[in-house]
Amino acid sequence: MTIQAQANGPVTPVMMAGLAGLVVSLAIAFSNLMADGHAAFNTGSDGVIWGLPVVNYVFFALASTGLTLVASVAMTFGSQAWYPLAKRCVWLSLVTLVAGFASLALELGHPFRMLWAIPLNFQPTSPLNWMGLFYAVFLVLGILKFVRIHVGDWNSPASKQIGLAALVTELLAGGMLGMAFGAMAMRPMWYGTLVPLYFVLTAACTGGAFALLVTYLAYGKDAAMPDKVRSLIRGPLPMAFAALLGLTILVIGYRTLIGLWSNADGLQVWDHIVASPWFWLEAALLVGAFYLLLEKKALAAAALMVIAAFFIDRYFFVVGGQLAPLFKGAWVPELIPYSPSMTEWMLTLLAFSIVFFGWALGEKMLKLEAAPQGD
Amino acid sequence: MEILKKAISRRRFLQVSGGSAAAGAAVVGSGGLGIGGLATLQEAQAAVGDGNTVVNKSICAQCPARCGIDVYTTNGRVHAIYGTADHPIANGKLCPKGHLGTYILYDPDRFKGPMKRTNARKGRNEDPGFVPISWDEALQTVADRLNTLRDKGESHRFALLYGRGWGASCAGLQGTFGKLYGSPNVAIGHSSLCSDGSILAKEMVDGNASYNSYDYRNANYLLIFGANFLESFRPYNNNMQVWGYIRGEKSPRTRVTAVDVHMNQTLAASDRALLVKPGTDGALALAIAHVILTEGLWDRKFVGNFHDGTNRFRTGQTVMADNFDERWTTGLVEWWNVELKDRTPQWAAGITTIPADQIVQTAREFATTRPAIALFERGAHNHSNGVYNGMAIHALNALVGSLFAQGGLAYQMGPSYGKLPVDADAFMDDYAKNGPHKGQPRIDLKGHPDGYKMAKNAIQEIAPNHLKGKPYKLDTAMFYYTNPIFSSPGAKDWEEALKDVFVIETSPFPSETAIMADLILPDHTYLERLQDAPTYPFQGYPMTQLRTPAVKPLYDTKYFGDTLIEIGKRMKGPMGEYYKALGDTENVLRHLAKGFEANPGDNGVDSFEKWKEKGVWYKKPYLWQQRDGEFYEWDGSDYRSQMSADDVKAKLLKTPSGKFEFVSGKLAGEAEWISKTTGMARERVPYIQWVEPKHTGAGDLHFITPKTAMHAEGRSANLPHAIAKMQPTVGGRREVCAELHPSVAKTKGIRDGDRIRIKSTLGEIVAVARVTELTRPDTLVLPFEHGHWAHGRWAERRGANPDEITANQSDRISGMANYYTGKVSVEKA
Amino acid sequence: MAKWGMVIDLEKCTGCQACSTACQMENNRLPGENYQDVLYYTEGKQPTPQLKWFPRPCMQCEEPSCMHVCPTRATYKTEDGVVLIDWNKCIGCKYCMIACPYGVRFYTDEKPLVEPNVKAVFNGDRKLSWNPPYKGPQQDAAKGIGIQPDGVVSKCTFCYHKISKAPKGTPDLDPANPELVEYVPACVRTCAPGARYFGDLDNPNSQVNRLISDKQGTRLLDHTGNKPQVYYLTGAGAAGSAVPGTRAAKA
Repeated sequence: MTIQAQANGPVTPVMMAGLAGLVVSLAIAFSNLMADGHAAFNTGSDGVIWGLPVVNYVFFALASTGLTLVASVAMTFGSQAWYPLAKRCVWLSLVTLVAGFASLALELGHPFRMLWAIPLNFQPTSPLNWMGLFYAVFLVLGILKFVRIHVGDWNSPASKQIGLAALVTELLAGGMLGMAFGAMAMRPMWYGTLVPLYFVLTAACTGGAFALLVTYLAYGKDAAMPDKVRSLIRGPLPMAFAALLGLTILVIGYRTLIGLWSNADGLQVWDHIVASPWFWLEAALLVGAFYLLLEKKALAAAALMVIAAFFIDRYFFVVGGQLAPLFKGAWVPELIPYSPSMTEWMLTLLAFSIVFFGWALGEKMLKLEAAPQGD
Repeated sequence: MEILKKAISRRRFLQVSGGSAAAGAAVVGSGGLGIGGLATLQEAQAAVGDGNTVVNKSICAQCPARCGIDVYTTNGRVHAIYGTADHPIANGKLCPKGHLGTYILYDPDRFKGPMKRTNARKGRNEDPGFVPISWDEALQTVADRLNTLRDKGESHRFALLYGRGWGASCAGLQGTFGKLYGSPNVAIGHSSLCSDGSILAKEMVDGNASYNSYDYRNANYLLIFGANFLESFRPYNNNMQVWGYIRGEKSPRTRVTAVDVHMNQTLAASDRALLVKPGTDGALALAIAHVILTEGLWDRKFVGNFHDGTNRFRTGQTVMADNFDERWTTGLVEWWNVELKDRTPQWAAGITTIPADQIVQTAREFATTRPAIALFERGAHNHSNGVYNGMAIHALNALVGSLFAQGGLAYQMGPSYGKLPVDADAFMDDYAKNGPHKGQPRIDLKGHPDGYKMAKNAIQEIAPNHLKGKPYKLDTAMFYYTNPIFSSPGAKDWEEALKDVFVIETSPFPSETAIMADLILPDHTYLERLQDAPTYPFQGYPMTQLRTPAVKPLYDTKYFGDTLIEIGKRMKGPMGEYYKALGDTENVLRHLAKGFEANPGDNGVDSFEKWKEKGVWYKKPYLWQQRDGEFYEWDGSDYRSQMSADDVKAKLLKTPSGKFEFVSGKLAGEAEWISKTTGMARERVPYIQWVEPKHTGAGDLHFITPKTAMHAEGRSANLPHAIAKMQPTVGGRREVCAELHPSVAKTKGIRDGDRIRIKSTLGEIVAVARVTELTRPDTLVLPFEHGHWAHGRWAERRGANPDEITANQSDRISGMANYYTGKVSVEKA
Repeated sequence: MAKWGMVIDLEKCTGCQACSTACQMENNRLPGENYQDVLYYTEGKQPTPQLKWFPRPCMQCEEPSCMHVCPTRATYKTEDGVVLIDWNKCIGCKYCMIACPYGVRFYTDEKPLVEPNVKAVFNGDRKLSWNPPYKGPQQDAAKGIGIQPDGVVSKCTFCYHKISKAPKGTPDLDPANPELVEYVPACVRTCAPGARYFGDLDNPNSQVNRLISDKQGTRLLDHTGNKPQVYYLTGAGAAGSAVPGTRAAKA
């Protein structure tokens, strides 16, 4: 059996759409940022401090962690059946991380100062630093690993070790991102020892969803897939994904219930979240995707549904933790009103565009369908 | 688009002659005056880390209180203002407004010099087309106009209107100008827009046409009606100092009951908050008086007692007058028989909506926790029944013996000023003495039977009277520190009235009056002035303060006092000679200060130079005290020399009887006129009594438009920092909100934050609704602040002006404009 | 070395906001950018509604969570107990604003509360985000004093440019003392009811320690473990000021 080298999915249209998205989002975001600076965002010192750009970052950084996890099933844990997705996932984990960083960089006051100020004044007690360090290290390891597999070195000890190190740094990075929120005792909506675990778990879901989605985008339909890909896609992948998603739905459900049940100050945000139609959309998307995965139907749609649901989830998480006002504002509203500005949405479009353009570029130029030969 | 164009062109005229702005700002205030001792300066320099810091003494201008301020200037930039430590009102402290004064100096919308109008059409949306002119041309223009009027025998058609006059070197010069020129309308004060209701109420019962001085620090009880003690009652800064002391340090702690129509900071911080139906404070006070009498709680040493000591005041029952011996009051039994015997707490509960048990408790506490002060201001008297409400409240002070007592209330003494260098009477020509102006009433018909016979001023009548041509039409009107076109009830009438009047505006800011003006003669801002300011009623002892310039004037402006003198110099005849002899305001101030030589202040101020250094002259103590029903005068070391009844009448209780009159002799004297204008039965007129307020408009909600803590008499309108803090209690940040009870909001389908239309018979305005339980269900509260259509970039096009829909109705007795008596309806906009 | 701290007596506070405006002018803050803020809360219904307020400076915590989360050590604690920001190191990530339990930090670059934007009216150069004509002479980016450049976070410094020059060993910076008044933080100096006290928490003989001891000074949100160096006296009697829970905002 030979490996189908030809992708016949809508790669070119996705690339063109990604490119268009890049141009549009950059044009609008830059002109607004040039004109108004950070004031182009609807964030504020007496409002939501970390807005949609940070949501984008958390979403894509965790997607990167998740994609590394998916890749590791074959490359680190030796499950041969998962090889056909591995290279695509490694590539995409790099692309999503870049997308996340891009959104964050445009949100920072001094992104370039960061490059020297953090190393020269490293504050070890800041979770943000460790998260940044781990993601930065991963970026290097991820590139190294990708180069290795790109030249066909899938299984040398060095390649394996790089892969393992990449996985560990990604898990630590995702966990540290969780800690950045989970350590905030003054914001009960975020606070909790298990937030890093929650982040890793949900990261895996978004990783799986992206892996599934781009596979469909690469090949178009089941029939066009090489056998190994098809058997993975029709077999272990949806089952594992469904199991993971089921667990995650359970966790999200309990998080919500605890939030609603408890009277701790700050958790009143949950009443607001549950009252939002977006919460119920998220729930419907997750449960719907879970059903489709179990039934192994419309898997591309299921992947899209999971991506959309988790974007909503990240939004509620990041923004929700800030809606209960602390001691700010001459007159205190019950909850802070916030809706992202046009510029903020353009950063979301930018990040998605980077991901899809980057993926399509890789698909065209970097043989992402490659897998170890002759087993 | 059209509006935008107009906005742009208006902006442009504000910029004219602004070329030297930056250069002016860089001039160092080299006249580093008044440093309160060298040590302070050195410390100031050490603390700000710059050897060039100079501290100047001045007086805040954001409200009438006149707090002494230390103005910090470094390298020509004024950068900080703090209260003056050795100033009796400020004591080193300031209210929130005081610190923002630098913005007034550096207001980017200030006028940069004198200008004249080139567009003959006038109106809200007409660009005046101002062009810069020289001071000489400006002053000569005014003088020519005034000389011409005088030549025609029409000098009465010149009016000078003023608001926040400060002292003898500005507003104090106006009266002389009017006398020499010959116009009854020079000058007309704004007091009928301010608080004349309070002044008249006191005049009617204790004979003093004045606000009170208060000895809060020694009082054990405060009963506050419609005066927002902790937001807008003068002297705000000192009130808060008092509050910190009486509530946090004094033993025993002073108890406070506060009465108002919505929950404000004063009510919130008090022991008891009584939310009263608007306009009914008098009914509450009468019921309190009723309880004090029926329960025998009055001060027998001040008021007197029944012969046999048995209390015969029983609800509903009359008392034989000759059973009671009165001491320093008159008419108590008559008052009881005619009015008070039926004014029960139950009756008042029906009128005020305050539960009877709360009224009884308040009365008992007030009368038994002495010394006790009952104080009131606009909330209580901005109604058609304002004077009667005020008299009823003030009567409580008499009943508990607080008048002139330690821990009670008294009246303010004036400063020991020296004489002016020239005697104006020697410069009166025949015209001034006997010209045709002598036969003319004032344009506002103050003191005239057809107008407001008993009023001190009736400035709000000028626009309608001018429009009617009755008693005549004004030719020229000059404005000093007042902007009635924005702040008078029926504000829109003024827009019509000023169209055919030659208007001279002296404000340094682009006010609404300026938009209608033909001539702009801009004053300095307060930090650039050398200006005296005797104290507003404070603690009774005399005090006067001095502004010294922190920097040289940034622009080509002129102190109003000097503008007036310079116009005077250009007048024909002896009048011009007088002003040439007077010289300038600094000369005036130097002569005023000569009075301190014989009467050096407690802080050693005995000369003009010392006055400039310290910024204030004051001389304690207040000279009189009532103690246990006897009056004493200060003998140099204590209140020991007992005063005769005649002495008391001459100096303290200036009524016809020389006593506190529960049945007012002064009202009795005007009974016929009052009866004719109000419809009240003539024989009832003199009694302190309950009168139903006459509300204007036909809506279902009382429309109350209070001032907030950040409201600086219009000077806050263009201060962005003030705007951001304007109405903190309900979150009015970008603009003030209309406070609306949830029950009203529900019936009208209004949600919090909605824009609402507030309608009166005069028209409608649009405001942002704040749905809140703080305001009574029968009341709509919209603070008076916004709605400017001029006055600078931050003031313009922000919110709505309640005075545009506030009908021009005044209390017939005081002439006090009834700002808080309108009834409006609301709907979602 | 002193450990500067503040005591606020809520029985005396009248909620006037003079502390806020004094601070704004001393430190050249933008409208609405209240290093020192007074918060207002309402509860209850007519005819017995409640209005309360709460004055809130930076708590200058002993264990400042803002400092612990700052990736570049731009936020630091001085030897005399004050939390400052080095604007030369701040990267504008705003994590400190997230981590501050008291909401006392401000980002430079935001929509203006009041239009027109005063920053546009009084333009700054690249070093300063704006430059009002009344700007104070003090400017020290390494301590976060003066007007900040764009893209950084700023906060209350306890008027460090004043208190750091106070004579060593002073137990209390009492504004009534003419020798000391220039070293007193603006909010303490101007407080008309005298609700604020400022002194050395390490000196057991200071008036601030006397007040904390006699009147049972409490700290806001003590459960977060930040250990504020600002104490509140809640007194016995009724007052409009009160230490709030954020849920007090609920009608």
